[in-house]
Amino acid sequence: MTTELKIPEYKLAEEESGKWGMVVDTDLCTGCQACVAACAMENNIPYVGEEDAAYGRSMHWIRTERFWEGEYPEVRMTDYQPMLCQQCGHAPCEPVCPAFATVHSQSEKLNLQVYNRCVGTRYCANNCPYQVRSFNWRDYQDPRLRPEITILANQFNPDVTVRRRGVMEKCTFCIQRIHKAQDLAKSEGREVEDGEFTTACAQACPANAITFGRIDHPETLVSQLAHSSRGVHHLEELGTLPRVTYLKGG
Amino acid sequence: MTAEEKSILAVFADIDPAADAIEQLRLLGVHDDCMNVISGIPVTEAMLGRPSQWTNVPRLALGGAIAGFLVGVFLSFITPDMYTILVGGQPFTPVPPAVIVVFEMTMLGMLLSTFLGVFLDSYFPSYRPMKYIPEISDGKIAILIECPPPDEQKVTDLLKKLGAESVQLTEAQHL
Amino acid sequence: MADNQNRNGVAHDNGSHEEHFREKHLMLDPMPRGKMNEMVMDAMHTTSWKFWLVFGMLAALVAYALFYKWGVMILEGLGVAGVNRPAYWGIFLVNTVFWIGISHAGTFISAILRVFKAEYRRPFTRAAELMTTFGLIQAGFSIFMHMGRVWLSYWLMPIPNQRELWPNFHSPLSWDLLAITTYLLGSTMYLFLPLIPDLAMARDRSDGWRKTFYKVLALGFRGTEGEWVHLRNAMNIFAFAIIPVMFSVHTIVSWDFAMATRPGWSSTVFGPYFVIGALHSGMGAVVMVLAVVRGTMKNMKYFIRPEHFEAIGKLMLIISMSWGYFFFNDYLVQWYGGDKWTKQLLHWHEAGPMGWMWFAMLLFNVVIPWGVLWNRKWRSMPWLLFTVGLLINVGMWFERYIIIPISLTINRMPFTWRLYEPGIEVWLGIGTLAFFILLYMAASKLIPLIPVWEVQEGQMAHSLKKFGRETVVTVSELE
Repeated sequence: MTTELKIPEYKLAEEESGKWGMVVDTDLCTGCQACVAACAMENNIPYVGEEDAAYGRSMHWIRTERFWEGEYPEVRMTDYQPMLCQQCGHAPCEPVCPAFATVHSQSEKLNLQVYNRCVGTRYCANNCPYQVRSFNWRDYQDPRLRPEITILANQFNPDVTVRRRGVMEKCTFCIQRIHKAQDLAKSEGREVEDGEFTTACAQACPANAITFGRIDHPETLVSQLAHSSRGVHHLEELGTLPRVTYLKGG
Repeated sequence: MTAEEKSILAVFADIDPAADAIEQLRLLGVHDDCMNVISGIPVTEAMLGRPSQWTNVPRLALGGAIAGFLVGVFLSFITPDMYTILVGGQPFTPVPPAVIVVFEMTMLGMLLSTFLGVFLDSYFPSYRPMKYIPEISDGKIAILIECPPPDEQKVTDLLKKLGAESVQLTEAQHL
Repeated sequence: MADNQNRNGVAHDNGSHEEHFREKHLMLDPMPRGKMNEMVMDAMHTTSWKFWLVFGMLAALVAYALFYKWGVMILEGLGVAGVNRPAYWGIFLVNTVFWIGISHAGTFISAILRVFKAEYRRPFTRAAELMTTFGLIQAGFSIFMHMGRVWLSYWLMPIPNQRELWPNFHSPLSWDLLAITTYLLGSTMYLFLPLIPDLAMARDRSDGWRKTFYKVLALGFRGTEGEWVHLRNAMNIFAFAIIPVMFSVHTIVSWDFAMATRPGWSSTVFGPYFVIGALHSGMGAVVMVLAVVRGTMKNMKYFIRPEHFEAIGKLMLIISMSWGYFFFNDYLVQWYGGDKWTKQLLHWHEAGPMGWMWFAMLLFNVVIPWGVLWNRKWRSMPWLLFTVGLLINVGMWFERYIIIPISLTINRMPFTWRLYEPGIEVWLGIGTLAFFILLYMAASKLIPLIPVWEVQEGQMAHSLKKFGRETVVTVSELE
């Protein structure tokens, strides 16, 4: 006779899959940084200047991490690793903000940053295991303080806020594009189709290493890639439920 | 009682003669309610054989603690429902963080009401004229007889005999 | 020494024995209250040109290092400080933890020692409580400086915005705000309550603007039976209630780190470890303050004696041992755990470019205090305890520096690893230190630093009693 041990089921607040997802194929990535440039233009990300960038203050929402193995001169490059906000289902950055400036969207299942709620405690950035949050250390976007960017101010994306000093920011999965596509689809009385739009980084990638779309629909490209045997999640063991899948070892 | 009214103020250096004097005054017919002891150090009622004093401070502290507890409950269980925001996959009103908030607010309520309790019970702040002499803060014990005593002269003599450093008629004055 | 005479079996006459007790213990060396009042008032009123020189220099330093530099930082942004990715928190948070730590000594001395009726606390409870209030003010400055948009800091208050959105009580920073506010208000009220009788004393003995000042602050206190009863009841409640608040404050400060999913920070022992660390630096700061007060203010050699340094020295030794215990606890579990990022972090602490700081921390927090404080004669020397207290404070500051910016260098994304180099925050830290000393100096001239009535009460309670041929000290419980 065995007595059955009844372990109550633990339910995650958000299901494993999420809604929007991304796949980055590191076997295809050439490290060309086109995604970084496209992201900066799409999202009005400032350039911080040489000195601040060298001191760890660059503000890219996506960065291409470069590693190598071995000691000089026997150095072997490993795959490039584009790193961006993983839009965690259980994001460690969210609960630690005292002002509710980084919150979870229940409809889009995305990790939002509310710039005008942010008071700059930078707790979220400390608690981000992926270190993908960027802080506005100075008023990088103010042409009165930096005359050299006056001309750059002309190419600001009108769909995205320009942030000032003291505010945290991060990758939004180009939420302005998501909304534009959803609005268009709604006005035409249909669903958003797979591949109808994509994020700036995916659009710019010449090697097609980045794929974006609905990860909860099994027939979409991103969903099929994410479920391939080559897919891994970064720091999955922390229970963050990342929405970005990396393909490697093909 | 008007400010012009005079009272007898007898100053003693030690507890023993002051306690004796209180006992003798009671025998003379001065009611305990008519006497007040003013001292530069805390002297307990038991030392002087005086009836124990009523204080609301502990009750007010308890009341403040309950009020603080309710504020804590409001902050941690009611306010998140006014504008629901999901963070980190946590419930809207999780219990463990609420324990901390409720604890802090309970303690804050208790400490604030204890402090205010001293103000309420002692009628602080009060800058009106009061019967007092500065020697008291030199550690003396003064007996203040506030009702007109049966025989003023007799009382004065008695207090002097019992070792009062000074016995005087005082009126309220600005401290 | 009487002790030696006893040990050597040399007969001693009781007169000189009692004389020895009087010399050693304030509580057995009573003075008329009037005389003590006079001494304390005199200490407040006597101000040398040196005081004003130091005062003026500190005031200039506060104006420049704290307010001017902070203004620059608010206008320019945090870029003028040394914070970067990954060290998002720098010296600001180090100083916050440091000052909250300093503030713990006041409560420890005035509440825990009061609850346990440790009689030697009497002359210096107020000197310690002042540190609590002034230390917390500096902690407040440090944490507000740290914020990117300090002008919006009121958003953290528990008040709703126009859309009924309240602060996020999931966040350790919200707990921190509530705990520090509770502690600041509580400790300030607890400083004020026992001060009322002394303010009345000062009111009775001053004239001019000081008379008005004390009259207003003394609230019309006379010392009637009722007033004393309410006051003593309240002080009793405060003494018990502020102890858990004190523990909660530094525990919550530690949770700011322990709640994070970071190697080195996510530790269950951080709460008690931080509380003991706070007491460690706090007690070190108390002896420093007492040594300065005793050395520079008039009449203080009567009130603050080597016996007090001896007693605090003993506490410092116990606290230093406890700190070593908790440190080892934290270290061993992390070292044994086998997580690769934690191993990398521990290696970085010891062998990285700031490794000297890690070893200096152990030297100042453990080796030197243990080496000095075991000896009764050494720990009775004010200047020596001042030095040990200073080293402990440096060591504890290093400890927080290692836990915050140095540990932040190592995270799970090696691509971002970078060392933190302090910028303007060094000035701001100096500014808070100067402001603390400035406030303390001003307070020492405005409020009676010695709780005279408590000293008199203690002196009344103490007496010598003969058991056979030995004279011993007895204390009666007056309350």
